[in-house]
This record gives sequence, C-alpha cells and structure tokens, in this order.
Amino acid sequence: MPSAKRPEILLQNVTMRFRRTKDTPTSLKEWMVSLLNPKLRKRAESFLALDSISFCIDPGEIVGIIGTNGSGKSTLLKIISGVLPPSSGVVFADRKKIELLTLGTGFDLELTGRENVYLNGALIGFTKRGLDRKYDSIVSFAELSGFMDEKVRNYSSGMVSRLAFSIATSKSTPRILILDEVLSVGDRFFREKSERRIREMIQSGSTVLIVSHSTQVIRSLCTRVLWIERGKLRADGDPDTVCRAYETMGKV
Amino acid sequence: MRVLSAWHQYAFVIRQLTARELKRKYARSSLGILWSILNPLLSMAVLSLIFLNMFRRSIENYPIYYLTGYLIWQTFTLATTSAMTALPDNKPLLLKVRFPMDIFLLARVYTAGVNLVYSLIAYAVMLIVFGISFKWTMLLAPVYLFLLFCFSLGMSYLLAVACVFFGDVRHLYTVLLTLWMYCSALFYPVSQLSAFMQTVVRLNPIYAYISSLRGAVLDGTLPSGLVWLQMMCFGILTLLLGRTVFKFYRKKIVEFL
Repeated sequence: MPSAKRPEILLQNVTMRFRRTKDTPTSLKEWMVSLLNPKLRKRAESFLALDSISFCIDPGEIVGIIGTNGSGKSTLLKIISGVLPPSSGVVFADRKKIELLTLGTGFDLELTGRENVYLNGALIGFTKRGLDRKYDSIVSFAELSGFMDEKVRNYSSGMVSRLAFSIATSKSTPRILILDEVLSVGDRFFREKSERRIREMIQSGSTVLIVSHSTQVIRSLCTRVLWIERGKLRADGDPDTVCRAYETMGKV
Repeated sequence: MRVLSAWHQYAFVIRQLTARELKRKYARSSLGILWSILNPLLSMAVLSLIFLNMFRRSIENYPIYYLTGYLIWQTFTLATTSAMTALPDNKPLLLKVRFPMDIFLLARVYTAGVNLVYSLIAYAVMLIVFGISFKWTMLLAPVYLFLLFCFSLGMSYLLAVACVFFGDVRHLYTVLLTLWMYCSALFYPVSQLSAFMQTVVRLNPIYAYISSLRGAVLDGTLPSGLVWLQMMCFGILTLLLGRTVFKFYRKKIVEFL
C-alpha cells in the first residue's frame, strides 16, 4: 500500500559486521609478530550481526520487533537511534526526534537513589533543571519515597527496576519512541501501572518501536511486527500472523 | 543555540560522572568524601617528614620542593592512567548513550582536576606550616596547571585510543611512568646530573610544569621564554594531536569495543 506521507524511518540494505575479537591482535606483541611474519597474520573473520535489512516505517505506526536472543534486535535499535554507525547501508531518520528508552543506564550500586536519579537522568538526556522539576514525581511513581538517601546496593532488584523505569519514562514524549525491553518490570501491580504509562506515551507520541520477548505485549500494543532472526528480516506483517509464526518456530 | 544547549548538557553529564567517581572512591568509608582532602593532607605530611629528616639535601625548603613536583606528577599520572581505560570501563554505557565518546575521557581527566583542587588545599596548609611567604608569581599557578591539564588530556586521548586496540598498553605505560618519574627531577636538583641527563630532563614536558611551579612558589621567579614556549606547545599541540587521532579512529573504536 503506497503511502503519501514521508516515512519516519527508512532503512536500506543495512548491514552490520563485527570483527571477532579473537581474530585481531589484541596485544602489541601479537601485532608486531604479525607485521614481521605475514603468514602468521590471522585472516580477519567477521560476524554478521545484521544482514542487509531494509524496511520503512510511516509516522504513527507502532511496530514491534521480535526475535530470539542474539538475533540482532538491539544492534538494529542502536543503528536506528544513531548510537552505532552501520558497516554499510543507509538509515534515514531524524535522530533529534528519536528517544531510545533503556533502563538503568549507568546505575551505580555504591550511590544513593537520589544520586542515581541525577546520574542516570544526565546520561539519558535530562537537563539539571528538568530533573529538579521532575524529581518528586519520579520518586512517587517508583513508590520509593523514604528510600532515596539509601544506597542502591541495599535495594531489592524490583526497587531498582522501578526506579529505572520511573526515570526513563518521565521525559517528555518524543516524536519517535524506541522501547528496549522496558515492559515486564517489577511486581504485578507495578507492571499494570507501567503498562498504563507506556500506553499513554504511545498515544501521545506518534511513532513507536517496541522490542519485547513477550508476544502477548506485542500483540496488545502493536500495529505491525518485524521478526529478526540471525541478522535477517524473517517476517514483516500484522501482529497476529508474525507472532504465530514466531511461536510455532519456538515449539519445533 | 542548539550547540550551546548541547554543551550545557555535556557539562552536566561530566559533572555527574565526576561526582560518581569521587563518591565511589571513598564509598565504604565512614568519613566519606572528607577523605578527598584528608588523603592528600596526610600523605603530604608524611612525605614532608620523610624528606625533612631522612633525605636531607642542599636544597632549601626540600619538603616543599618535593611536594610541588609530587602534586604535578600525581595529577598527571592519575589523569592519564584513569582516562586510558575510560572507554573499556564504560563500554556498556558507551553503546547506549548518544554523547560523543570523549565525554567519558573528559570526565576522568576532570576528576583528576577536582582531586588536584583538594590537594591544593593540603598544599596550601603545607606552605603555611613551612613558612613560605606569599609571592605574586603564585597567582600564575592556575595558568601552569591549566596547560598541564591540556597536556594530560591530550596524552589521555592518545593512550585511550592505543589502549582500545592494544590492551597491554596499560601495563607498558606503568613501566614507562616509572622511567618518566625518575627523569622528572622530583626529589633531586637537576644540577646534580650529567650534562646529557640535564638535557633529557629539560626536554621532559612534565619538568617544564614542575620547574615553573617551583619557581613561582619557592623563588618568586617566572619561567624563561623557552620554558613558556615548551609549556604552551606541549599543552596545546598534544591536545590537538590527541583529538585528531581520536576523531580519526572513532568509528573503529566503536567496532572494537
């Protein structure tokens, strides 16, 4: 179906090649040996994380990305958000509009909750003033008031992820939102609360990309699903069809 | 406007990363951040006792002579050795955030700078204890230290790139530092050396900063034109070279990490 709108994200033959570390000289000695003796020079073997991926996403679409572990989903997100430059291929996307939501970037166990809000907030792009303003609402959403001057080392893992989720989702909603495994955090009650917040963000932001292992979440939120397997785009279509195909593969 | 706000944001990130480094260092001690001042103060007190009683030399104000060199040497080694591993240490972060990678390097060097400020407080106490009178040349110290900062940052860029590609650079560098330290005239007068070694020491960038600060604090003298030129060239050219090399290898670094 040809669309009259300009696509929000466009990928053409995007390939990402990583060099395997064992194949490259990692010490000066090895490097010098390889200079002197070309026979010993190991052939650079590379690992194809993404193999010629092309797709196009229109404004307003809510796209889920599924695939088994290590299939290249996170690499794909990093390339779209501009953290990683692709080895070859073209990416069209306005990077200033993209927000990659990840949990607990740079959390430090030796710091207090409050200090982590500022450290993590700074890293994911909050300004000092923005954090000062949002601080109380971040704490109350995470239900952690009274624990903020405690070191995160003493938190339970649920408390850590609640705080991380609360900071990450407190930013103003961007034009393009990328969610990398941010759902299914904390206990049942917090999970419901966080899904509600995600839904609100989805409704106010125009284009959303969601990576999740849970096909249930994908089915309930997305309008389209991409299935990436071993670096290749295996399927692209409506959530029901693609999710069913993915689930049957898992059973074999 | 956009560029300005981006820099504003980077500065905020660097301050937060620095705060983390400083708080972490003494995180499990009861006095906490107070150690940042106590530590240099105590070690300077011990060092001046040692150099006052055990290694008496013909140098006037020998403890201060030593402490001045020590201050600069410590700052330089702390900045470069910590910044050298900044990229591998922050690997998980690097691949998630969208800042220029050098933020992490800058944060480490900046941390060394903040530590220098704490050490300067201890140093000032020592100056008072040893009855060093105030000289107007002391006011130039920030200029020398700023140029030292540029030099350290430049070296950090070069070392960080080398360290990504060859992990054993960090071990080699510690060995090199030992040699470098003995060539920096930290605890002996240069005049004691042979003519050849004197030239080596005078060509040593660190010695330029050390001798200028010593002159300012102990004798109230200014560095000669040649030393000025040395300090500026080493500071600015190393920084430019470091940045250029780092930019050149930027893409490769991401793949390698």
